[in-house]
Amino acid sequence: MTIDWGWIADHVDDMWSTTVEHLILTVIAVTVGLVLSLVLAIVALRWRRSYAPITWVTGVLYTIPSLALFTFLVPVFGLSLLTAEVALVSYTLLILIRNIVAGVNGVPAHVIEASRGMGMTDRRIFLGVQLPLALPAIIAGVRIAAVTTIGLVTLTVLVGQGGYGVFILRGIRRQFLTEALVGTVLSVLMAVAVDVVLIVVEQWATPWSRRRAAS
Amino acid sequence: MGEAMIRLEAVTKQYDGTTSPAVAGLTLDVPEGEIAVLVGPSGCGKTTTLKMINRLIEPTAGHIVVAGRRVGDMEAHELRRGIGYVIQQIGLFPHRTIAENIATVPKLLGWPRARIEERVDELIEVVHLEAELRDRYPAELSGGQRQRVGVARALAADPPVMLMDEPFGAVDPIIRSALQGQFLELQREVNKTVVLVTHDIDEAIRLGDKVAILNVGGVLEQYGPPEDVLREPANEFVAEFLGRDRGLKRLGLIPIHAVDLEPGPSLAPAATPEEARQVMARHGVDWIAVVDGTRLLGWAPDTALVGAATLGDVALRPFRTVISHDASLKEALDAVISSRSLAAAVLDGDVFLGMLTAETIGREIVQ
Repeated sequence: MTIDWGWIADHVDDMWSTTVEHLILTVIAVTVGLVLSLVLAIVALRWRRSYAPITWVTGVLYTIPSLALFTFLVPVFGLSLLTAEVALVSYTLLILIRNIVAGVNGVPAHVIEASRGMGMTDRRIFLGVQLPLALPAIIAGVRIAAVTTIGLVTLTVLVGQGGYGVFILRGIRRQFLTEALVGTVLSVLMAVAVDVVLIVVEQWATPWSRRRAAS
Repeated sequence: MGEAMIRLEAVTKQYDGTTSPAVAGLTLDVPEGEIAVLVGPSGCGKTTTLKMINRLIEPTAGHIVVAGRRVGDMEAHELRRGIGYVIQQIGLFPHRTIAENIATVPKLLGWPRARIEERVDELIEVVHLEAELRDRYPAELSGGQRQRVGVARALAADPPVMLMDEPFGAVDPIIRSALQGQFLELQREVNKTVVLVTHDIDEAIRLGDKVAILNVGGVLEQYGPPEDVLREPANEFVAEFLGRDRGLKRLGLIPIHAVDLEPGPSLAPAATPEEARQVMARHGVDWIAVVDGTRLLGWAPDTALVGAATLGDVALRPFRTVISHDASLKEALDAVISSRSLAAAVLDGDVFLGMLTAETIGREIVQ
């Protein structure tokens, strides 16, 4: 087993464009997942009894084997970006909703009481107090969702999308180890890089928690 | 005493699923510029009562009027922006700086930025916070500092009314006492109408212009100035709640300058030992204080007078038990009973005002 360094040198441009595809697929999935999760989390927070059914449904989605989900969706949406994203988004929901709800519920009751007592409206309390204070938990959820999604995007090649899955699948079919390995290693590297970026984003977005650690 | 700024009219609160009300037909007036303290055992509805004033809790029956308007007629959030609110855990926003925390209500009211900045600086000074804390986060402050930020935040939009729920409950006793003192000083400047809830009768007595003693179920047992309540508890419950040392507590409210002082066994430096012995005999003591005009020079025991022509010739000893005229009789009593002579010299700065004896204080207790 040897690595074909010559092939790698010849395909740098290819790797670059594949990286961009992979990243776009990931960003769309996590962004849509986050927006959808925010809406569902607000519903769950507003009507407490809806939390159990929401987590049950998203929990079931989370347990469906990804290969099977792509297969089920193809007859509906075809070999399309939509199929890929519907599957990818559905895997982010459980983690994100749970973290948003936990983050918002973790805001101390006395902070909410003081907010209300000073004349803040419920909307303002949610947007100005609960959501910002839930940020560490939300970003922690986004980190898990992003890393998971980056791994899953390698499968979207099966529904005709790009990304590192192209290298992996082609490498396996041609029994060309170097290409499969390049796809795998790049996917892992991207997961690590995105995780690090999100850690930096969290520190930047929550200066108060950083200072507490310092003091 | 001003008009009633806050008026509770037969206010009742019964929570769903309970058989007896938390607050039962409570009627209470808080005059403008006064501090009314709601005090009582747990379950007496004091916090419920407080929260009905800013509508965090809605009453089941009755009305609450603040500054001439029924609170039920206003939008709850509009009402609350006009009422300062301080709670035990302070509830500062952990994600906002001290300045941003203080600016909360002015921002809600849409003040221009420059005015908010100016007000924040002013308040930081008013509550004796260090200016460099301005851009820190609450987690970086001590408990006492956080408490003062909470008060500054409640005062920010200069509301006429302040509601305080155990505002000093989360700090240790030494800091609490200092903060209470600062709060009283501040109140003399800002003159708010304050309703304060506490379970601590000593805090109630110290801070209240009026104390409302509540019994379980929100029954008002007595409402009046702390001195009146201590002197004449309305019933057994109030007497027991005040504690057996309520006479002593009352002494804590009376400043020394409110009682008549006696010159005590004192004479001018020109007096002779013979005169001194007569004064000592009259007071039944074996020492004499020497006072030159208004200046207390010291004291001498009778044995030191032998051979002296006048008291001015005697080597005097400094007075150890001296107390300022604005101290309370309780502090004076402590000084007196710790002194060998059972008397304390009362001074206003350097000016000798007279002597305070255990007897004088005793008369005050009996009254």
